[in-house]
Formats: sequence, C-alpha cells, structure tokens
Amino acid sequence: MAAPMVNFYFQLIAFAFLHQCTGTSPEEFFKSGHTNNWAVLVDTSRFWFNYRHVANVLSIYRSCKRLGIPDSRIILMVADDMACNPRNPRPATVFNNANNQINVYGDDVEVDYRGYEVTVENFIRVLTGRLPPSTPRSKRLLSDEHSNVLVYMTGHGGDGFLKFQDAEEISNVELADAFEQMWQKRRYHEVFFMIDTCQAESMFQKFYSPNILAVASSKVGEDSLSHHVDPSIGVYVIDRYTYYALEFLETVTPGSKKTMGQFLEVCPKYQCISTVAKRTDLFRRDVNKVLLTDFFGSVRNVELLPDSIHLQNATLHTHSEDSSDVKSDKPLSYAQQFPMPV
Amino acid sequence: MPGEEASEEKDKSIQHTAALSFGFICLIIGIPLWWKTTEVYRVNLPYSDIADLSNTKFQFTIDIDVVNLEKSWTDKDLTDLSKLLKANLADDRKVGAIFPKYRVAVRQAAEKQSSDVTSLKTLAALDDYFHGEESSVNKYLIVLMPVNNAVVKQTTIGNYRAVYLPAGKRDLKTVSAEVTEILHSVLVREDALLKSFQNFLGAREPKDKASMRSLSYHQGYDILFTLVNPQPDILDIDWSIKVAVEAYLSPMVKQLSDYINLDIKSQMLFFTGLRRKPHKDKKNSGFYYEETDLPHTINPLEANLGSHASNNPMLNFIVYVPSRDQHPLHIVLKNGEKVKTNSFLSPQWGGIVVQNLPSPPPNSSLPVRVTVDMKTVMEVFLTQLRLLMDFNIQVKKDLQVREVGNDVIREWELDNWLRKKCLENLATSISTLQSLTALLEGISNIVIQDDIGQQVENAVTGIKEAHRHLSSGQIARAFTQSRKALASSEKAFFDPSLLELLYFPEDQKFAIYIPLFLPIGLPILGSLFKAIKWIKTKRKQKAKTE
Repeated sequence: MAAPMVNFYFQLIAFAFLHQCTGTSPEEFFKSGHTNNWAVLVDTSRFWFNYRHVANVLSIYRSCKRLGIPDSRIILMVADDMACNPRNPRPATVFNNANNQINVYGDDVEVDYRGYEVTVENFIRVLTGRLPPSTPRSKRLLSDEHSNVLVYMTGHGGDGFLKFQDAEEISNVELADAFEQMWQKRRYHEVFFMIDTCQAESMFQKFYSPNILAVASSKVGEDSLSHHVDPSIGVYVIDRYTYYALEFLETVTPGSKKTMGQFLEVCPKYQCISTVAKRTDLFRRDVNKVLLTDFFGSVRNVELLPDSIHLQNATLHTHSEDSSDVKSDKPLSYAQQFPMPV
Repeated sequence: MPGEEASEEKDKSIQHTAALSFGFICLIIGIPLWWKTTEVYRVNLPYSDIADLSNTKFQFTIDIDVVNLEKSWTDKDLTDLSKLLKANLADDRKVGAIFPKYRVAVRQAAEKQSSDVTSLKTLAALDDYFHGEESSVNKYLIVLMPVNNAVVKQTTIGNYRAVYLPAGKRDLKTVSAEVTEILHSVLVREDALLKSFQNFLGAREPKDKASMRSLSYHQGYDILFTLVNPQPDILDIDWSIKVAVEAYLSPMVKQLSDYINLDIKSQMLFFTGLRRKPHKDKKNSGFYYEETDLPHTINPLEANLGSHASNNPMLNFIVYVPSRDQHPLHIVLKNGEKVKTNSFLSPQWGGIVVQNLPSPPPNSSLPVRVTVDMKTVMEVFLTQLRLLMDFNIQVKKDLQVREVGNDVIREWELDNWLRKKCLENLATSISTLQSLTALLEGISNIVIQDDIGQQVENAVTGIKEAHRHLSSGQIARAFTQSRKALASSEKAFFDPSLLELLYFPEDQKFAIYIPLFLPIGLPILGSLFKAIKWIKTKRKQKAKTE
C-alpha cells in the first residue's frame, strides 16, 4: 500500500500560501500516543484497623495530583471514612507516616465514591461505562482511545479475588473481562495496573487485553506486609510496597525523565519482604523507554500555531451602546464564580 | 400363597408405578420447567444483519460539473475531456471497505456566463457569481477559465464549491490529471477517509498529528473562553467576549447547528497564572517560553478552570495576560524566532494565546483599564477551533485557496467533514454492534431487555439508511442517519442493565444446584431404574406365558 501512504504524507508535508497549516516541525507524529491521563484509585476496606489502606490510596492520589492529573480526571473510591472516624485521635486528618508530616487528607481531596458506594458493581460500572444516566460527570470515567489510565487497588485480597467492604469479592476473571470490554469500546490507550494486597499477583494473571502493564506487591502464596505502626494513632499507617513506591515518586517532578522500568524495580525483596511481581507481556512498548509521567502525570502534546486566518472587523451591534450607558452608574458586583453562557 | 403373592405383586406394581410416575414428572415436566424458569430473558437480536454489515462495502457518490469558459475548446474537446476524466476517476485503485463513485458532467458555458465572467474583477466576485445555483451540497463545480482571464492565474479553490482552473494553453490530459488530483487530495480525499474508516472499525494504527488532534464526533461540544488575569489590582481588563462571539463565532455555530450542538460559555479567572517560570530574554527586555516548557503550563491552569455538568467534551480557549513582572511574554521557536500568533494548542483540549497588553504608565491610578483586541484573539481561536474540530485541510503548495475570512469554514471543508464524520460514525456503530454481539454471545447469563433489542434494531436500520443516502450522494441526510445510528448503538452498548449476573458464574452453578438436587435425585433415579427393570421382567414373563 505504498502509493496511498505516499499520497497521504504528501498532503501532510506541504504548506499553503494563504491557507492555515500545522505546527512548525516537519514531524507528522506527536511525541506520545496519548492525549490525556486518567486515574482510578480504589480502596476496598472498611473498619478502623484498615487505616493503612486509606492512607495508601490517598498518598497515591496526592502524587497523581502533584504530577499534574486534575481532579476532574481522577476517580477516587474510598470505602470508609478514617478522617472523621470517632476513633481517630487526630480528627479530620489521615497520615501515612508516624512522623505525621503530611496530612494526606488535606483540604482539596475530592472523593468520588465514598463509604457504601464502593462496591464491586459500581467499580465494574465505572470501568465499563455502564452507569445510570443520572450519574454526575465527576463519577464517570470519560476516557477515550487516547487516554492512559492508572488503576490502583488496595485492600485485602486472596488467590484470585479482592475483598470489597468485607461483604463481597471481585474475582480476577471479572476484572479481566472488564478490561477487555474497555479495550473493545476503545476506552483506553494504555493501562497501568498497580495492586497492593496479599497474593496480589493473582489479580492480574487472567488479563488478556493488549496494552496493560501490571505490577503487584506480592506473588501468589505470599502476604503483603504493612510498614510501620503509629503509636499515637494506634494502627499501621502504610503498607510496605506503597511506602517505597511513594519514596520513589517523591523524587519525580512533572518534567522528569524517569522510566517505568525504574518504577517496576522499586521495593526489592529485602525491603518489601514479599516479592514484587510484574506483567509486561501485554504491553507493546519497552518499559525502559516509557516515561513515568505517561501514567502518573499529565504531560500534554502541544503544537505551536504559526499563522492564523484573517477576519474582517465585524460591525459591533447595539451591545456597545448598552455598555457605555451602564458604565457611568454601575454598582459594584462580584465576578461570576462559574462559567456563564455567552 | 397365591393370595399373598398376588397382594405382593400388587404392592410391587403400585410401588413401581409410583416410582415411574415420579420419574415421569421429574424428567418430563420438572426439568423443562426448571430450565424455563431459570432461563435468562434474552431478546432476539439481528445477529446475521450485524455480521453482514461488517462485510458491506460502503459506496459514496460525488457529483462533478465541469463548465468550460475557454472559447478555443470545441464540443469534441469537451467530450474527450469527459471520457478522460471518467476513465481517471473510475477506480484506478482497489475497492476498499469504502469506495467513491463519481458522476461527471462536462458542458460549455452559456454566452452570458462568459461575458459576465470577463466583467468580474476579484476572486470574491467570481466565487459569489458561481455560488448557489450551480453547486450544492456534495456537488462540485470545476470552472475552466479562459486563457486571458485577469483574476485566475493559477489553479484556485474558492470558498464555496467551485474550483477555477486556467485551462488555456494546456492539453486535455494535463487538465484531467489536475482535476483528478484536486479531487483526490482536497475535495474528496478518499485515502484519508479509508484510513479513518479502518481505524474506527478497529485497526489500531499509530495516529498521525491530523487524526490525533481533533475530537471524535459527539452530539455536542462545550466551548469555554477564559480570560486569565493574574494581577487584577494593576490591570482592569475589558474583553467584550459576548460581542465578539456574536460577531465572529455565531455564523459558524448557526451553520453547524443542524449537525452538532456547540454550547459556548465564558469566564474570567483572577489571581492565577501560568506557574512555570519563563526564561529571561537577554537581548531585549522580555521573557519567553520554549516549546518544551509549554506542556507544563496547562496543568496548573486546568485545575482552576472548573468542571462542568455535561458529558460532552470540552474545548478550552484561554487568553492569558502576563503579570507585570513577566511582561512582555513571547513563545519562541527552536531557532529563537517569535511565534507570530503567540499562541499554541493542545490536541483534544484547546488553545492558549498570550496577549501582551501595554503596561500602565507610571503615576497612574491603579487599576488601569485596558481592552483586549478581540479581533486578533478571535482570529487565533477560530484557527485553533478549525484545527481541533477537524475542519482544516492541508492543501499542496501549488494550489491557491481563497482566504476564508469571516465565514470561518469553507463549504467544501464542511462537505469533507460531513463525509468523514458520517463514515466514522458508521464505523464506530458497526464496531460497537460487533463487540456487543461478541459480549452477549460470550457471556450467556446477561439479560437482554426489550429496549436494548429495539436500540440495536434502530442502529442497524440507521446504518442501512445512511448507506443508501451516501450512495445517492446526499451526505447531509446520510450524516443525520449515521448520527442516529451512533446514538442508538452507544445507548445499547452502555445500557446499565448489561451487567452479567455477578456471583452466578457457570462453574459455580454446580455448587449451588448439587445440594438441592442430589439428595432427591439419587433415590428417584434409583427407583426409576428398578421400576424399568421390573417392567422389562414383567414383559418377558408375559411373552413367555403367551
């Protein structure tokens, strides 16, 4: 099919005299294959003694936000409320470290699914897009074929399942089917699946859709362990794998060139005690050439605009008369808080 | 004793008859009843139709009218030209999933037209003259200009649906080759159409800039114009956005109102800015951003832009007025040259333009009132909008195109867009229906309600209707049908009821039914076998005695 391709490139390469053209560089392709980033962060455990799972997911949430993914593209599911729990000696805060340095439940946290809304059904519905029409935009995963999606799950798991809310489970087959449906409907470009539970490897063993990179905190038959206890709060505050992953992420800036290959090597056995497992066979690119910010941050493609169309001065209507009248005696008013229709 | 034997026989026969009747009820009535009542309700879907659709080759028809104003060309020349054109256009390439069909008509211009054209002095007047009566949606007019015409010196494409070719001294072969070239690369672009059709149907090839930049079709887009003023205490900025949108954008919105719904909003943001620090220009006193800095300026701003309530994709157009300590701010190319429009765009997101408004003179009372020049700003935004909505078409250097002006979208660009979006919608609908049927056939315990069946039927009918309209050349109607087909297929696929019955997978059904059926099933089957054996022995006895 050489001739049509040549013809196609021929059109793209040239400039026209009066007519608008594309960016300045002669490359026909953007630097990355995705145009936006989404994150789906799920904590599935209830009860006060699972404080560390909430701290896990909120820490990852903070990293994503710091590296550039806005709240409108993060779906945060937290199964229980630790900050306002009556057993919390530091109300309205959640810490991920015994030093209590960072309050990960700050004043700009947006939890999309809270408490009893975090169920297997809602999670599958978010991934596949089969939500009831009344669901607000902030609770929908509106990704498209150019989106890179980060999926992080934490909680209690077993061989082939993950426990939700201490009442139900999601099996690895269901999860694999959900990703396959996302692939069929072109709802992702690439997925990075990160899971921090016991026997976490089993959750990604059944994946069969392309472009998924997965990492788990423990192999089948091993338990993932927590890192340290905070004596003043009285519970374990963070899990080992997430702790060392965060240590790595804290060194990453939005313009960083660190690769996913480096991230996948985080937490060797002497630190994590469980073996970190990964799955790269479904992923098309070489992990050592994939930037970390492709999944955790949001680095956009840009195109400079060398020239624009030329407009004639259109006659301005009577609106100008209105504004000149009103100017003289206009009372002071606040600026509009929300975008108003023109 | 015969009496006892007889009564034993009778008992046995009653027992065995009872066992037989139990077995009969269980097997003949019970099992079908159980099967029917635990059946999942599934409406019949037109699976064969959907399978056929994936093999259909879509034909789209285009009408071409060639009008000759060059007096030296005779009728015979025109007939030859017509034959050459038809030969050139009639499928010199393999028939792909979509293929064009051209209807060509060549004629001499009327005397009045020739004399009128010689009196027209500008390209705009020429375009207006040929607009409307000769060409309509999907019908293009190729005007062969006389050799001494003052206005058209080189092949020019107008803003409506006419192309002006200075025929003059050229021979028929070159003219027909040039017309074919214009059709293939500008007016119809079959290769781009085929590529995008295959892409939407499922072939995931790496995307080039043109296809990654533009949004895919949705029922509507939200457009948000934002003015970012980091120091409102120094500059009181006035931008008459309402008037500007009314004057420059409304014609385009009205033109597109039948096809797509554009919802326009505006806002002003204070005390926020592009947080990335610009480089200081050592030669002139100023600041600049390079292309590599730009991706990081968007994210902090996006957090403040505010989310909105609809599910439509949003395009953001931002006017940024730099703060006084970063004034004047420019965007530069790799070689240090300033970008003329001082703006950039991000694919599928929107664009930002930096407006360097004059600093307040010293000793003036703050805040100083300044005005944004809405014309330059709207020029940049409309260019970016054309790129982001996929109206822009690259044209080769040797073809001149008339400046588009306040129309914003040329009519042949609109035709191209309709054709492309129609085919993309059809491809998306077909692939959605295919994956829906694959899903439903693969997982047998998903309930299919009546309304889903109805939506699938509507989608299939819509696709067939769109194909019918495409092959008769009515792209506007084909587009409307394709839009309906897309909406129906998406509605069917994303229906909330299509969730498989969780916790009831096939392999676990065994575990659920065995404790119910096994304790009863074993005795019934056992007594059934015994009863059948007894009947057989009785028959043998009867045969013996007879």
